[in-house]
Amino acid sequence: MDYIVWKDLGPLTRLVMNQLHYLGLLFMIVAYSYKIYQIFQYPSAKEGTPPRGDHQKAIRYSYMTLAMPWELDTQKHHMYRYVEFALFHIAMAVGIGFAFILPMAHEFMKNSFIIGFSKLFFVLGFLIGISRLARRVYSPAMRRISTLDDYFCLMLLTLWMFSGILAAPLKSELFLFAYYFFATFFLFYVPFSKISHYVYFFFIKYYVGKHFGHRGTFPKKGSMPTVKNV
Amino acid sequence: MRQKSQNAIAFNESFKKRTNRQHVLSFAACAHCGTCNDSCHYFLATGDPKMTPAAKMDKIRQVYKAQKDWLGRLMPTWVGAKEIETDEELLELQDIVFGSCTGCRRCTFNCPFGVDTAALVGLARSCLVDLGYAPEGIKVVMKDQWEIGNQMGISKEEYLDTLEWVQEELQEEFGNPDYKVPIDKKGADFVYVVNPREIKYDPRSLQAAFKIFYYAGLDWTMGSEGWDNTNFGLFSGKADLGGHMGNLAYNHAKKLEVKRMIISECGHGLRSTKWEAPNWGKANPLPFEISSLLELMVDLINIGKIVLDPSKNPYPVTYHDPCNLSRSCGITEEPRFCLNRACVDFREMIPNRGDSYCCTGGGGAMSMSEYTGRRLEVAKVKADQIRKTGAAIVATACHNCVDGLSDVIKNYNLRYDYRDSKTPSLLRVCNVCELVAEAMVIPAEIKKTAAKAPQNAIKGKKVLVIDDEPDIIVFIETLLTDAGFKVVTANDGMTGLEKAKTEHPDLITLDITMPGKSGIQFFRELRSSAETANIPVFIITGAIDFRQLMYQKAVQAPDGFMMKPINPEVLLMTVNKILEKSVRNKTVVN
Ligand code: SF4
Ligand code: SF4
Repeated sequence: MDYIVWKDLGPLTRLVMNQLHYLGLLFMIVAYSYKIYQIFQYPSAKEGTPPRGDHQKAIRYSYMTLAMPWELDTQKHHMYRYVEFALFHIAMAVGIGFAFILPMAHEFMKNSFIIGFSKLFFVLGFLIGISRLARRVYSPAMRRISTLDDYFCLMLLTLWMFSGILAAPLKSELFLFAYYFFATFFLFYVPFSKISHYVYFFFIKYYVGKHFGHRGTFPKKGSMPTVKNV
Repeated sequence: MRQKSQNAIAFNESFKKRTNRQHVLSFAACAHCGTCNDSCHYFLATGDPKMTPAAKMDKIRQVYKAQKDWLGRLMPTWVGAKEIETDEELLELQDIVFGSCTGCRRCTFNCPFGVDTAALVGLARSCLVDLGYAPEGIKVVMKDQWEIGNQMGISKEEYLDTLEWVQEELQEEFGNPDYKVPIDKKGADFVYVVNPREIKYDPRSLQAAFKIFYYAGLDWTMGSEGWDNTNFGLFSGKADLGGHMGNLAYNHAKKLEVKRMIISECGHGLRSTKWEAPNWGKANPLPFEISSLLELMVDLINIGKIVLDPSKNPYPVTYHDPCNLSRSCGITEEPRFCLNRACVDFREMIPNRGDSYCCTGGGGAMSMSEYTGRRLEVAKVKADQIRKTGAAIVATACHNCVDGLSDVIKNYNLRYDYRDSKTPSLLRVCNVCELVAEAMVIPAEIKKTAAKAPQNAIKGKKVLVIDDEPDIIVFIETLLTDAGFKVVTANDGMTGLEKAKTEHPDLITLDITMPGKSGIQFFRELRSSAETANIPVFIITGAIDFRQLMYQKAVQAPDGFMMKPINPEVLLMTVNKILEKSVRNKTVVN
């Protein structure tokens, strides 16, 4: 089958890909800006004691723990879940990158390496999505903490990944439309949903790092204090 | 929509007002990923899905979502948003935040997003406490801290009396009749601020610390006021109480013009006094430095002011990291530094430091007797951890942890086989400073007497021993008679009560688990009768539920306690202490 000819795309696909998709991005930026503004309206916890540790180092450590599963005792014992977590999030990043680069550089995206690379992550994202969904449904502990929004987001992301597998070869307008339909829907829905955690992450990790760094708790495993003159 | 109760409305309102930026981020950032599930000892021990940190927090998070989350306001069911509506829901929340979370922060350390569940628990506790939703023990201790200035309601006389008693003990141990425990010494290098448990029930850690200060030749003082380092502002989430307790200590230290404040081994004591209370009480900047006794001991060892001989502690020792020290104060290496030099065989507990499991007595849990059963059930995680070390002694740096771990050891029957003894003994729990003091090389070392002969003033005093086990009665009777006391006995609560009235004992040693009238009933009746209310009571028990008498204090608290199996040295020390103090008090009154 041949690649999609860009100028032959139907008006609906064009509308979603070139207009609604970017409108969604704009909406998301505005919505998040407002959300962040709202958060900063809350007073911050005050800290006036002299520090015992290094704030900067601790804040860096706080962010870095995301890539250091051995620093989290529970992740250390569930490496499989960490790998799943990492691959799933990389797959999401590939999906977003694919959606935004394609309208601007469709010829470049026809490169077989890029298609293969994207497809690989769409497949991984899809499989991990199913595994995570199964875990949410079958594990009583996970079921207990799952809201309808949690299920909805995960199902939709998994479907999006599935549409990505079909759309990545760039040979079917229908699949491409489905892929952009999901991507666009997400841009409008995400600011309302639990997926927003990726934005809050940057703020909360800063505060957590600063708080524990101040007390010399982060980076974990305190170092010996210097000898004072008694 | 259901009509909300008055309390529910008040809760929702105060929740809205108290939420700060860090809380909001912790509420909003949770992705319900479940990574933290296995970090919580409540979930690990029970497997109950309601006990994961996220499940517990969702009960609080639902209020935030109902109040602030966009979707939560539009489609509450979709995201699990709901304000509190009834008094029953408040009780349920009380059970979660007081009875199912010790605020240990292990889940905070294990959340990839940094959600601080313990901070959210603190927020919920503060809103509940204001409405009177809190365990009785928490309320009583808060009242004592507000009104008397310490968590065990100890009067100034009793406090000074205990210090005098410790002073006399040390005079004898040091062979120095001029030895004085300095009180309110102006301009001293540091003021030593302690946990009331050390004053009221177990002065061994005080003696150990004073011994270290004495042999290191330090310039220090105790304060006659503001001496309590514990702070139920932390456990109740009430910053006003937290600030009040901090300021009591800071103001007295300022008056004494000391350069430093040293906090005895207490996890939440150090956390509150050093890190939280200066902010709560708007006391920053303080004109002195605040450090832990552990840091001071490291310095003393490093500069050679104290020399340790590890062979004096030959049995295997492990260390339990108190949550507040390891996760909220960064104190992890100091105790290890001391123990590695004070003991021959120091063994790590796995996991440790910031990953350590809670002793299960944190967050004020020791004062909440209504949750004792659950506390002991979830302590299985800690018990397994301790058992694997094969240690004979569990050292820790917190008085709450000492009590919590003692209960764990008792409940899970954790024993060490000393080879020379027939039955393996229950593991010993102690503070780090006790092992350091035991390992100190002292010039012209004074030999410790195993059982100190009673002072003349208390010789011949009458002790009523109440226990349903004949062997125990005989054991205590022999020990006390040999030490010069008169002993009368009773093998149940009913007879005990009669003898308390007819024999007029100077002290009662009391078992708790007895057929018929339990020790708890006996104690309440004894204290409620004018005739017997003032007889000092020393509880000697294997049952853990006696702690309610220490914290709930519907009647005056017992004067001492000890867990079975009986350590003769500790038994005699406590009997001496109680009787000497009571003789002194009577002399003063006369
Ligand atoms: S608190 Fe953190 S680790 Fe626990 S479920 Fe929420 S995001 Fe996951
Ligand atoms: S703070 Fe500790 S006790 Fe509370 S939920 Fe987290 S891990 Fe469990």
